[in-house]
Amino acid sequence: MLKLFLWFRYLRKKKIVFLSIAAAALSTTLLIVVASLFTGFINTLEQTAVQTIGDVVLSAPITFAKYPLFIEQLEKTSAVVAATATLSSQGLLHLGKGDVRAVHIWGIEPARRTKVTGFKKFLRRQGLSDKEPSFEVSDSPNDVGAFIGIAVIAEPNETTDEYDYSAIDRMIGEHVILTTGAKIEADDTSSNGQASSRFKRRTLKLTIADIVQTGVYDLDKGFIYLPIETLQEVLYPNEKESLANQIQIKLTEGIRTDVAIALIRGVWRNFVKQHLNDNPYLISYTDIETAKQMQSQYAGELRKQMGVLLLIFGVVSFSVIVLIFCIFYMIAKLKQRDIAIVKSCGAASGSVALVFLGFGCCVGTVGSGIGAVLAYIITKNINTIEEWIRIIFGMKLWKSSVYMFSKIPNNIDWWAVLPIVLFAIIAATIGTLIPAIVAARTNPVEILRYE
Amino acid sequence: MYKILIATRYLIRRHITYFAVLAVALCAFIVLVVMTVLTGLVSDFKLKNHLFTGDCVVGTKTLVGFTYYEDLNRILEQADFIESASAVIQSYALVSPNWTEQGLGLEIMGIDPVRHSMATGFGETLYYHKNDVSEAFEPVFKPDLLGCVLGVEVGNRLGNSLAPQRDPRGGYFYNDRFDESSVSVSCVPLTARGAPAKADLGLINTLNFYYSDYSHSGLARVDGSLVYTPFDQAQWLCGMDGPLKRANAIHIKFKPDVNLQTGCKKVALLLEKFKQEKADEEQAYLLDTVTVQSWKEYRRAHIAAMEKEQTMMTVLFGLVGITTVFIILVVFYMIISHKSKDIGILKSIGVSNADIITLFLGFASSVGLIGAAIGAFGGWLFLRKINQIEQWLFEHFGFQLWDRTIYAIGDIPNQVRFTVLAVIILSAIVACLAGAFIPSRQAARLNPVETLQVSQL
Repeated sequence: MLKLFLWFRYLRKKKIVFLSIAAAALSTTLLIVVASLFTGFINTLEQTAVQTIGDVVLSAPITFAKYPLFIEQLEKTSAVVAATATLSSQGLLHLGKGDVRAVHIWGIEPARRTKVTGFKKFLRRQGLSDKEPSFEVSDSPNDVGAFIGIAVIAEPNETTDEYDYSAIDRMIGEHVILTTGAKIEADDTSSNGQASSRFKRRTLKLTIADIVQTGVYDLDKGFIYLPIETLQEVLYPNEKESLANQIQIKLTEGIRTDVAIALIRGVWRNFVKQHLNDNPYLISYTDIETAKQMQSQYAGELRKQMGVLLLIFGVVSFSVIVLIFCIFYMIAKLKQRDIAIVKSCGAASGSVALVFLGFGCCVGTVGSGIGAVLAYIITKNINTIEEWIRIIFGMKLWKSSVYMFSKIPNNIDWWAVLPIVLFAIIAATIGTLIPAIVAARTNPVEILRYE
Repeated sequence: MYKILIATRYLIRRHITYFAVLAVALCAFIVLVVMTVLTGLVSDFKLKNHLFTGDCVVGTKTLVGFTYYEDLNRILEQADFIESASAVIQSYALVSPNWTEQGLGLEIMGIDPVRHSMATGFGETLYYHKNDVSEAFEPVFKPDLLGCVLGVEVGNRLGNSLAPQRDPRGGYFYNDRFDESSVSVSCVPLTARGAPAKADLGLINTLNFYYSDYSHSGLARVDGSLVYTPFDQAQWLCGMDGPLKRANAIHIKFKPDVNLQTGCKKVALLLEKFKQEKADEEQAYLLDTVTVQSWKEYRRAHIAAMEKEQTMMTVLFGLVGITTVFIILVVFYMIISHKSKDIGILKSIGVSNADIITLFLGFASSVGLIGAAIGAFGGWLFLRKINQIEQWLFEHFGFQLWDRTIYAIGDIPNQVRFTVLAVIILSAIVACLAGAFIPSRQAARLNPVETLQVSQL
């Protein structure tokens, strides 16, 4: 009771204690916000990978045939809910006058893909429809439809980082020309005597059936999606079997990924053995990884950077301990008479020390609590804050072209909050250690002497 | 004189002051290390962009390009403030190694290697032909073949096993064996109106090139996506070699004493005059989209992101620095509480309020200066050894500040810049002055009659 009385009294009389609370709150806020933003970015990176390419990806070193059969075998296992094939290539896309872009081409099965990934919700026109997504061009059923990444056809506004959606929507139904190529052909000589194509180049007139906005700039900037059959016809016109070079898989809820991967690898081996002439190249060099594993190197590097940044701010936050020490040392010195009276009434030195340590602990708790609340508010409203910074200072801090995502991930990292808050409380208590010892060693006889 | 004496006395005798010095030193140390590394990275990145671009670029964003570039190039080269100018072709290409059935979409840049090396730092980025840039497109194993220079990371992207490999320290290991395979480069030739030149025939232009060299600019995006080809061949690939030849840009290097902005303005004037002269010529409309940009404007999208990160980091350290201000405030508050009698005596012998404030603010400046000096010295020592420390950590724990296989960074920048140092020391002093101001004012308001009362002694 006496301790509580003294704490409240010091808090009321010594306003300077609020400085230590403010400093602890500031440091806690900073550390939690930094940790949350980094963790949010890493989590978003991993979640987006799952949303765009599924839980597990099987990437073959070369194209392989009979993928529908493999998918059928996969879907019979308990580990797999659905799977879809992708045939990939690269090409040049002519969008209009003088506008040519290098693009990645993905031949996909839109309906199946929707079962494996969150593909449908990325489509601007068909995303809200109840029907399965398709490449059909409503007015011209004979046209070859294509989905195009939003940043392929338009750049976000330099100042606001927002797309002009009305202009983008007008692009649906427009024609574009795609150039791609495959398979080596005999050399040829062009009109000016220079060696010409060694590859068979194919141009394809496409109609934009829909726009894809995944929210990941690199995907939105560089991808065009075609029906897998169309792409196969273009790249491998003489091939009768269905071809793919990647299978994207959705796993059963709750299954362990290592078990699922082992199962998928087994199915793949059997499939290659039975249907692909036991091709050793396909068995040895096919990667089967989870979407998260595919991001692991980059995510690991981000985690390391977060650690370095937290260490730097943690070291700087060491000055909070110095601040608390100074404040409590001052209180211990200025309140020697109080302490002497308490001791003369029979309080032990340990109890006196505990008054200061407890007070320091309270300062740390209150400071870190306020800091955690502030950090929560800042992190949750980080996009609004960033927008206000843009409006006031004219500086766009977050751009999707630089930081991949169109919005700043704003989830609080609760796993980081607990250690940071604990660290702040311990730091505050450490800061009061020496003042507590000084107070405990106060000799009431000397302090309360009449002279 | 007495102010210096008293301030020095407080500094030495009042041990609590050491904590203020320690806090300032800690902040100065961290800020110096972080800002030196960040500033070094940003400056290095800017320098690489400058070397890649030259001082100024006259060009158009559209891939159609512009006509009469040869006349414009000649005019620019004759200008007394320009050292050299290099016309380039820029486009996208489908690049396929001869052993695969697939291609990669990459950027191509058609250049005259000698001119381009005079206007930019291109020559310095080469590995095999650094000493004779004129042979940049001549493969070492057979010079009469048509060569191309790959960005140093492009070889890996094309699956070339003999391509340079990045080592863990950020450098490249170049293979002694030359890769004698070839790549086919295909472009969509565009008409002056921007339409595909041979769309009706379903044709695009393709040429075979052999690897002649690798270019390591240090810019990740450039090194990972750019293929340099001879100017004439690139012009043919892009369909710009018609009767009215076209190019996409002219890279310019100014003479050493020419200011960047002044130089760009002069180029803009020359361009305006040139546009007027050519106004009635055929396809002169293509000149309408041609603009003049300094290298900073030309690479702004890339540089701005790094500069913003530096600004954000500065703001964050500014916030953390508030704690230092608090510490100074508390320390001075304590000193003034304990030295109220000194202040009373000083005031009783005629020292003014302003002098008391000056005394304590001078004391605060000393704390800031000494703290910042100690922190800066510690930071400088740490920075001197930062690369060795990282090397040691890497050898023993596999830890690198940046994974060099992911980031295009070499050594950690460790050159302390005078401006950074000066700003840190000044900021430390200002923080100390801010922290000491309220206690100083409080000290100045002390009434000597009260503080020197017998009952208070």
